[in-house]
Amino acid sequence: MLRLPQFQVESPDTVEGVVAALQRHAGARVIAGGTDILPNLKHFLDTPPVLVSLARVTALRGLQRDDAAGLLRIGAGVTLTQIAEDAQVRALFPSLAHAAGIVASPVIRNMGTLGGNVNLDTRCRYVNQSEFWRGSIGGGCLKSEGNVCHVVPKGRNCVAAMSSDNVPVLISLDANIVLVGPEGRRVLPLADYFHADGVAHTLARPGEVTVELQLPLPAGPRRARYTKWSVRRSIDFPLLSVALRFDLAADSPHAEVLAAKVVVGVLGAKPRVVTRLDEALGKPLSDPAVARIVSEATHAQCKPLDNVPYEAAYRREMLRVYTRRGVEAMVAEG
Amino acid sequence: MPSEDRERDWQLGKVHRKVDAMERMRGVARYTDDLKLPGMLHAKILRSPHAHARIRGIDLAPALALPGVFAAVTGQDFKIPYGIIPWTPDENALAVDKVCHVGDGVVAIAAIDEDTANAACKAVIVDYEPLRAFFDPEEALAVRDREGTINPYSRKGNVSKHVLLEFGEVDAELAASDLVIEGDYEFGGTTHGAIEPHCAVALVEPSGILTVWSATQVSHYLHRELAKVLELPPHRIRVIQPPLGGAFGGKSEPFDLEFCVAKLAMKTGRPVKLLYTREEVFYAHRGRHPMKMKYRTGFTRDGKIKAVDARTILDGGAYSSFGLVTTYYSGQLLCAPYAFGTYRFDSTRAYTNKPACGPKRGHGSVQPRFAMEIQLDKAAVALGIDPIDLRRRNDIGANTQTINEFRVGSNGFLECLARVEAASGWRERRAKLGYGRGLGVAGSTYISGTNYPIYPNDMPQAGVQICLDRSGRARVFSGANDIGQGSNTMLAVITSEELGLPIEDIRVLSADTDLCPVDLGAYSSRITLMVGNACLDAASKLRRKVCESVAKRWKVPRDRVVLAGRMAIDREDPDRHVDSAQAFQWAEADHGLLGEVGSYNTPKDRHGEYRGGTIGASPAYSFTAHLAEVEVDVETGIVDVKKIWIAHDCGKALSKRIVEGQIEGSTYMGFGEALMEEHGVDPEHRGAHAGPSLLDYRMPTFLDTPELAAMIVEAPDANGPYGAKEAGEGPLHSSIPAIANAIYDAVGIRLDRIPFSPPRVLAALAERRRRELAGELSPHKPGPDHARRSA
Amino acid sequence: MSHLLLSMTVNGEAVQVAAPAHHTLLEVLRYKLDLIGTKQGCDKGDCGACTVQIDGVPQLSCLTLAVHAVGRAVTTVEGLGQQAGGCHPLQDAFDRWNAAQCGFCTPGILLSAEALLRRCAGREPTRLQVCEALAGNLCRCTGYTKIIDAVLDVGRQMAVAAAASAGEVAHAE
Repeated sequence: MLRLPQFQVESPDTVEGVVAALQRHAGARVIAGGTDILPNLKHFLDTPPVLVSLARVTALRGLQRDDAAGLLRIGAGVTLTQIAEDAQVRALFPSLAHAAGIVASPVIRNMGTLGGNVNLDTRCRYVNQSEFWRGSIGGGCLKSEGNVCHVVPKGRNCVAAMSSDNVPVLISLDANIVLVGPEGRRVLPLADYFHADGVAHTLARPGEVTVELQLPLPAGPRRARYTKWSVRRSIDFPLLSVALRFDLAADSPHAEVLAAKVVVGVLGAKPRVVTRLDEALGKPLSDPAVARIVSEATHAQCKPLDNVPYEAAYRREMLRVYTRRGVEAMVAEG
Repeated sequence: MPSEDRERDWQLGKVHRKVDAMERMRGVARYTDDLKLPGMLHAKILRSPHAHARIRGIDLAPALALPGVFAAVTGQDFKIPYGIIPWTPDENALAVDKVCHVGDGVVAIAAIDEDTANAACKAVIVDYEPLRAFFDPEEALAVRDREGTINPYSRKGNVSKHVLLEFGEVDAELAASDLVIEGDYEFGGTTHGAIEPHCAVALVEPSGILTVWSATQVSHYLHRELAKVLELPPHRIRVIQPPLGGAFGGKSEPFDLEFCVAKLAMKTGRPVKLLYTREEVFYAHRGRHPMKMKYRTGFTRDGKIKAVDARTILDGGAYSSFGLVTTYYSGQLLCAPYAFGTYRFDSTRAYTNKPACGPKRGHGSVQPRFAMEIQLDKAAVALGIDPIDLRRRNDIGANTQTINEFRVGSNGFLECLARVEAASGWRERRAKLGYGRGLGVAGSTYISGTNYPIYPNDMPQAGVQICLDRSGRARVFSGANDIGQGSNTMLAVITSEELGLPIEDIRVLSADTDLCPVDLGAYSSRITLMVGNACLDAASKLRRKVCESVAKRWKVPRDRVVLAGRMAIDREDPDRHVDSAQAFQWAEADHGLLGEVGSYNTPKDRHGEYRGGTIGASPAYSFTAHLAEVEVDVETGIVDVKKIWIAHDCGKALSKRIVEGQIEGSTYMGFGEALMEEHGVDPEHRGAHAGPSLLDYRMPTFLDTPELAAMIVEAPDANGPYGAKEAGEGPLHSSIPAIANAIYDAVGIRLDRIPFSPPRVLAALAERRRRELAGELSPHKPGPDHARRSA
Repeated sequence: MSHLLLSMTVNGEAVQVAAPAHHTLLEVLRYKLDLIGTKQGCDKGDCGACTVQIDGVPQLSCLTLAVHAVGRAVTTVEGLGQQAGGCHPLQDAFDRWNAAQCGFCTPGILLSAEALLRRCAGREPTRLQVCEALAGNLCRCTGYTKIIDAVLDVGRQMAVAAAASAGEVAHAE
């Protein structure tokens, strides 16, 4: 079978223990559910001497509503199945419950955690292959052992795709990420956590571990939705991924839009927050103009690349269709 | 070979628990990778990262110096070439002087564990001189020089095989046709995707006998090739096929791992195991040949096929595999279920620098069937004839001969059409389905085994040995490979039917070359008909002996004794009966140990009298009709297959649910090929595989697969056991064109290339819209749906 | 290569097994504990053949480090039948429906299906629920039809049994 590289495993009981272990072992990596890192290690994309496991850190498994802070706090170690099935998440953040519930496959959702999914390594057809395979294309690329890009010829910046289903949704819901590292704890908007370098696409500092995602409780009526396309309905990564959120003046699809947020994944290394949606504000959500404005802006601003399967031109065209349909579906659902 | 003097059908056609399923479901069946032998070493193969390169040198020393490394072998250890087809031995167990595709094996190393073997492979230094690689079959065929010749044993450049056969005056008939449909079709590569990766274990017994356990579907051919390449007498080799985790044609010839474990076991004196990674399974491949097909079909005004003219290029990959046969099959298997007035096919198989193609379920004939059934659908539209009626009008019928001179026996095709037509509500519903929804139909045929074995000989095609035990049990010995299709259970059902024993009183021992009679293996859908006949032969001989002994004691004529329900019963006085054990004891007392052998050989009057006329001839042909219902999303190009109805004529279903399972599994596999599966290499990236994993090679999941309604049709064939014909491959073929034709019915586009991916569907829709705007076409299914959906 | 001594519960029995830290649960089950019923198909989470239950939840043993099973309860297909006193109703139904052809994906599917039925707690699952629950397990032989039939069959039986026992309880009250 495809072998893992050799490593040691440390399994601290506390977040502090995790941080200390990461400091002790240069090059150590964190493992939670294992569904992303272990295939990557089997592909020898990294050979860390030590894996620091979060399996025993029970403090990361909480999911609670903090009314004082106006937040839902989801521990990084909560599994995607738990999020998809949690009554509070389903009631307050249905787009997140939906996205978490259609990641990969049921067995993977039983293992994979929200913290792991937020930190899912970027993906590319030229990267997520065995070491042997990468040798057969001439020795890898910017993100593996080579120094070229096979997606953007002469490109010097890795464009591997941010492929998490949950990240666009969380950003659309104004989520914050909580990190703990040697210098302590910090909270930053998830929207600011990513940057456009597929090799290291998050701002996590060495030795930092994600401990929590915070979702501000809805302040007023709104509609939110996640829409994606993958070739199969299971065991597949998204090839197209759009999160939508509309704050409304009243709890009706015919109420006017007060704020609109659209976040798109599977482009480059960074999810894209679609801008210039002002034209949609003030119109009823059910006004077809809203769907049109939002989908046109998405189409105009998002340019998929040939970093994942299926033609970029097709996926770009589909951004318009999926975004428009996402809005239409919210209206249809009432 | 019907046997008349017995109680009929006390087991046939019933639902049976398989003889070997429970042990698999309880997790105790030992598949090849489940074998663990004392002192066993693990081997890995170093593979070529180049699509085409000369090997200038191999330095094994750094690998052999590592602790835990026991032995290494290279192509120099396997200089005798082999090939599943005796006329085309064109591959070596490991590359001798050159590598011909990414993933070609170069060195095999046995070590204490897989990690050590992998480290040793990494330490080997191979000096390659890259050569120009060819990924397009037509480009490869255009090259004539030695330097550009891919396969080291080829004598005709990159032409692996060329077949041109003509039956009747095709050009004249085309010219005289009322309608000629011309079409270009492209069938992309697909692969088997058995969930169990290939695995082999070898051991040199203290007696010196070499035992090889392998996840193979052809133990006998593996046995022969091992003897040849290892230069050992066949009787010093034993091949055992443990329970197998799927094959579909992907394990129907020897692979590098079997030779390597054998040689490494011989070198080290220790057992050696080699398990492919999933990636290596994709390099071993032998999947469906990509084919480019140009068809011209001539019709009369009333829809009769006057002429078929086919030109086909097969992309064979680096080695022949079964390619000689595939090239013939690409034309020879098209001549039913429709009568052709005249027929010509011109097929050329090219070598290319890719993993070798070979036989995948529906070997060689799924691709031309795709082209032909779309041609028929185009003709139906052009002539204004209902597509099912057009097919009926061309039905070749039973007890007849095809244009290429194959004898067809029973034929249930018309009933297959009628069944899917009725079940789907075709007549009532088709016209009412609005734009975006559609129904499509297609038909096909397949062989129940190939009439001639791979290596010419006059011996039986199948042999079975049965022993009866005084405890009332039967033991069945057969060389046939149960690959999950249920052939062991088929043997038990026949033995049960003949000897009156319940299935659980029958032990089947199969696919062990030391203990079982030779069988040629699980390919070409041959086992039910051929091995079933051999089993019936042995079992009915035993039944007569047992009945005779019972009749003697009851002093009645033999034909009054029937065997059923674990008893021998007096047909005219059913109160008189004895249990089977007593009956067997009487028979053993009369005859000595109760054992019989049965053989089967094919009738030699089935084929055409011309060169190649035996290839594709079969004792009996199955027939299938598929009817698919689809919904096409015209904005995204996504095709949603709602349901597929399948009616399959298997002659006689020996075990009902097992037959249904074959029909459903075949249809599913075709569905996957139609919509999402793609096996290929990337010419822009040195011929690297497009994605050698079960993530990138997308096989349909539970959520993707449409509802499948399988219907069994029985047109018993005189050549089959109790009339039985095949069910394991035929029901794949027409699944694909039925979906293509349903897409046309839904939105008016022709998809002449698989897979029907969303971008391709969308591009075809855009092209249709352009032609509608240009006034070349009128709107397809005009109506409110059309206006709304294509806006 | 140093080995760790790992303690876990496998099919109800406490076991201790030595394995290097980089070994997966799949390897430990198959090659150290000889629990060969758990299969390896794709190497990396793409096929579901290696599905086992950890603390009752279906998970992929090929993507679970053996050390992660320490202190937890692992159930493999061998344990499925033991729980039911020999043969689990799902195993019996799969046998009756010929839902296992080659049988290689079957152990993983059985463990996914058992978890579904346990969660249904006596309610009959729909066809879609079965497909959703099993969507991480590939089968290449059956076209899934007979597997769905078999799971629905057991689901129906369990619903009938649950209704009957609820009726008895009501009656007793």
